Amino acid sequence: MTKTFSPARPIWCAGCGDFAVQGVLEKSLDSLNIPREQLMFLAGIGCSGTIQNNIKCYGYHALHGRVLPTAIGVKLANPNLTVVAAGGDGDGYAIGAGHLVHTFRSNPSLTYIVMNNSNYGLTKGQPSPTSPLGYKSNAEMDMDAILLGLSLPSTTFLARGFSGHPEQLGQLLVAALKHAEEGKGFAFIEVLSPCVTYYDTHREWASRVHNVDEDPDYNCTDRGNAFSKSLEILNNHKIPIGLLYHGEHVSLESLSLKEDCIPPALQDLNSPDSVENCKKIIQSFMG
Amino acid sequence: MTPVNGTQPVLEDLNVIVAGQGGDGSLTVVTLLAELMRDYGFNVYTERDVLSRIRGGHTAATVRAFSGDRYCIGSNIDLLVALDDEAIEKNTRHLDGNSIVIFDESGGKLTNGSLPKGIKLYSAPFNRIAMRTMRRELYRNSIAFGVVSRLIGLEDEALKKIFKKRFARLGTTVLDYNLEALDLGFGIADEFGLTNGAGLYKIKKKKAANKLLITGNESVALGFIVAGGRFYAGYPITPSSEILESLQKWLPMFGGVARQTEDELSGINMAMGAALTGARVMVGTSGPGFSLMQEGIGHAGSAEIPIVIVDCQRAGPSTGMPTKPEQSDINLMIFGGHGDFPRIVLAPGHPEDCFYLAAEATNLAFKYQCPVYISMDQGLSQNIATVDPFDLEKIEVDEGYQLDAEDLKKLDVYKRYAHTENDISPFAKPGTPGGFSLVTGNEHDEWGLVSTDPDNRVQMMKKRMNKIEHAKEHLPEARHFGNGDEKIGFIGIGMTYGVILEAMEQLEAYGVDTQFLQLRTIWPVLDEVNEFINRCDKVYVVEYNAVGQLAHLLMHQGADSGKIIKIIKYDGIPFRPREIYNRVMEENKSNNAGKKKTKKKRANSK
Repeated sequence: MTKTFSPARPIWCAGCGDFAVQGVLEKSLDSLNIPREQLMFLAGIGCSGTIQNNIKCYGYHALHGRVLPTAIGVKLANPNLTVVAAGGDGDGYAIGAGHLVHTFRSNPSLTYIVMNNSNYGLTKGQPSPTSPLGYKSNAEMDMDAILLGLSLPSTTFLARGFSGHPEQLGQLLVAALKHAEEGKGFAFIEVLSPCVTYYDTHREWASRVHNVDEDPDYNCTDRGNAFSKSLEILNNHKIPIGLLYHGEHVSLESLSLKEDCIPPALQDLNSPDSVENCKKIIQSFMG
Repeated sequence: MTPVNGTQPVLEDLNVIVAGQGGDGSLTVVTLLAELMRDYGFNVYTERDVLSRIRGGHTAATVRAFSGDRYCIGSNIDLLVALDDEAIEKNTRHLDGNSIVIFDESGGKLTNGSLPKGIKLYSAPFNRIAMRTMRRELYRNSIAFGVVSRLIGLEDEALKKIFKKRFARLGTTVLDYNLEALDLGFGIADEFGLTNGAGLYKIKKKKAANKLLITGNESVALGFIVAGGRFYAGYPITPSSEILESLQKWLPMFGGVARQTEDELSGINMAMGAALTGARVMVGTSGPGFSLMQEGIGHAGSAEIPIVIVDCQRAGPSTGMPTKPEQSDINLMIFGGHGDFPRIVLAPGHPEDCFYLAAEATNLAFKYQCPVYISMDQGLSQNIATVDPFDLEKIEVDEGYQLDAEDLKKLDVYKRYAHTENDISPFAKPGTPGGFSLVTGNEHDEWGLVSTDPDNRVQMMKKRMNKIEHAKEHLPEARHFGNGDEKIGFIGIGMTYGVILEAMEQLEAYGVDTQFLQLRTIWPVLDEVNEFINRCDKVYVVEYNAVGQLAHLLMHQGADSGKIIKIIKYDGIPFRPREIYNRVMEENKSNNAGKKKTKKKRANSK
C-alpha cells in the first residue's frame, strides 16, 4: 500500500459539537459503502473548516465563504465523485451567503453540512449571522437558512440536526448523502453544533429543539406546510430539527452535462472526435 | 481616393467608418462589409467605438480592407458613412481631401462648411426611405449598404450572397425584407451614377483567401479547447463576455462545461474546484471582475492549482470606461494578490497569437501547477481580423506530472506537495485509489497538512517560486521585427502590435530605421528584453495606461531606464500609426531623417 497522509487529530475543544459531526459522517459514509477515494471533501474556513484533515479522503481547504462554488466545480467536472462540502455558519451564512442562495437555485447533487455554533469560534467569539440579537452587542436579527431554502422553489433537501442527538443526525446524514448520490440535487444539512468555549448553547438547544420527524402535523414534502410549521415552531421559541423539506427538481449536473458522457475531468483529450470538432469550429470562421 | 469619373485604381487599402447612434446597426454593417471583403480575398481588420449602453450615444465601427498584413485601422478614413449629424462632427478629424462621405440626410441636409474642402458627398434620406417604403427604421442600414458597396465597386451579386448567408438564420421574411432594402439602395446608387461595377475601385476578386475572420476572444476560447480545456467559469463583463458565450456554444460538443456564475468570486473558485479533479480550466474577466478574483488567484498559487485567467483589459479604475481599451492591469496581473506566489503572464498580439498562446497557457498551467494569465485588451478581444487557419498539429496536450492508480501502486509514499528536483509535485485525480491528499492554500507540509514550521515555510515558498525559474526557458519568446542593428527600438504588447508595425514602415520610408520586440511573455521578464534594449540607443515602450506600467516593469527588472521612453495613451481611443510616427519623427530629426526615401517602396501612409 502506498503511504498517504495520516489523518490529523481534530483541533477542536473538548466537548465541541463538531466531534459528533465527524464521527457520524464517517459512519454514514461507511454505511453507504462509499469508497473513500471517491470522496471529495471540501471545507471552508473556521473551526469546522479543518474537518477534512481528519479523515481519509481527497480533501480540500477552500477560501473563506467559497466552499460551495468550489464544490460545484468539482461536481460538474467529475459527477462520479461523492462531493461533500462543510463549513460553519460564518463561512456559509455571512461571507458566503450569496453562494448559498445560488446553490439553492442551481441544485447540484452534493451534500453541504453547516456546523452552526452561532458565533465565530476560531476568531474568539464574535457574533455570526445566527447569533441572536443582543449577543455581544449584536445589532442584527439572526437568520434561518432553512427558511431561506424553503423560499426558493428549486430546493430539494433541507434538514437540521443537533450534535446532541447523534442518532437522528446519522439518519439525516445518510439520507442527505443518498439524495446527492442518486443525483437528486443539493442536500443541505445544518447541524446545531455548540461552541463550548465562546458560546455554550448545548443545554439551551437541547431544551429548544423540536423534532419534526416525530411531529404528525409536519409534512416535509409540502413546501407550504413546511414553511408555516417551521415558522410556528420558531415563533414558539423552539428550533425545528429533522428532515424539514424533501422535494424534486432537476439537478445542475444533469442540465449541464450530456447524459452518460465522460466527465470533463476524465476525457481523452486527444480523441479523434475532439479533433474533428475543433476543425468544424475553425471551418465556421472561413468564408 | 480617386473620383468616380477618373481611372479606377486597384484597391489596396480601404478604411470605412460607419457612425451613428447606438442601436443604429453600425456594427452590423461593418461586420457584413468585413465578411464581404474577406470573401473578395482581402485581409480585414475592424474596430468598434461603442458606449456601454444598448441604445443611443455616438457609436462607430470601422473596417479596414487591404492587400498586405495590417492589424490596426489606418490613420485616415477613406469613406465615412454618417447616419446622423453627430457622426459627421465626431469623425471629420479623420477625413482628408480625398475622403468620401455618405450621409443620411433624413434629419436635414448638411450645412455648408461642415465638411473639409474637397470631400465628395453622397447624401440621401436613408432613414426616411426606410420608413416610407419599408415601415421600419432598421432597414436603413441595408439601404445604405447598397450605396456603400456600389461606391466601393463591389458586385451586387456578392452582396446578395452575403445577405443570404447572414440573414438566413433569422428567417425568410427578414432576409426578403433586407434584400428588398438592398435593392432600394442600389436604386439610389443608380441615381448617383454609381452603377454596378462602376465604383471607385477596380476590385479583382483574389483566389479563395482561406482566411479566418475572427476575434481575439474567440481565438482564445478555441486555443483553450484544443489544448484540452474542458471547464470555463465566468460572469458577463465587457469586453470578455464573448469568451463565455463562445465556450457555452462549443464546450458541450467536447463534453465540457462553461458556466455563468453569480459573481467572479464564484467563478474563480468554481474553476479551481473543477481543476482539483484534473480538468483543465479557464476563467475570463475584465477590470472590476479581475479585482474580485485576486484572492482566488493567490490561493491557486499557494495551493498549486492549475488555472488560466484571461484578463480582457478595459479602461479603469473602478467601472472606468467599460467599452474602451486599456492595458492598465499589468501591475495587477504581475504583482496583484496578497503574499508571494508564482505566476506566468502571456501577452498575445493578434487573434492568431491568441489561439496559440491560449493553448500554451493551458499547458503551462497544467505543467507548472500555477496561475497563468493571458493578458488581453479590448481591441485584441473584440476586433475582428483575418488570420491564417489555425494549425491543430502545432498543439500538443501536455500531460503534466500526473499519477494514475498503477503509478501510485509502485510508490511507497505519495505526497501531493512532494519536493522534487524541478519543484513540480505529482498529482493524482480524486477518485484514483491510493492517492489520498489534502489541498490547501494555508502554508502546508508535503502531505498538505497545515504547518507553520519555519523551515518548512521557507522550503515550500522556495519550491513554489522556483517553478517560475524552471519555466523560464519554456515560455513563449518575443517576436522580433527589424534587422537587429537599428538604434531605435519599440516594445509593445497586445493591440499595439499592428500600429507599431505600420508606424515602423512609415518611419523607414522617411529614413528612420527601427526595430520592434513584440513581447509574448511579460512575466517573468525574459532575458530577451534587456538584450534588445542593450542593442538600441533608445526604446519606445508603447502602451495604453496613464503611468507606463510596462515601461516601469522593464526598468524594475533591470532595463536601462536612460534608454526607455514612454508612449502612453489612456483616452480610450486606439493609437493610429501616424501618432507614433509623428512622435518618433519629432524626437529623431537628423540629416537623413525626414526625407522620403525614393528607392524603397513607400510605406502605406494611412
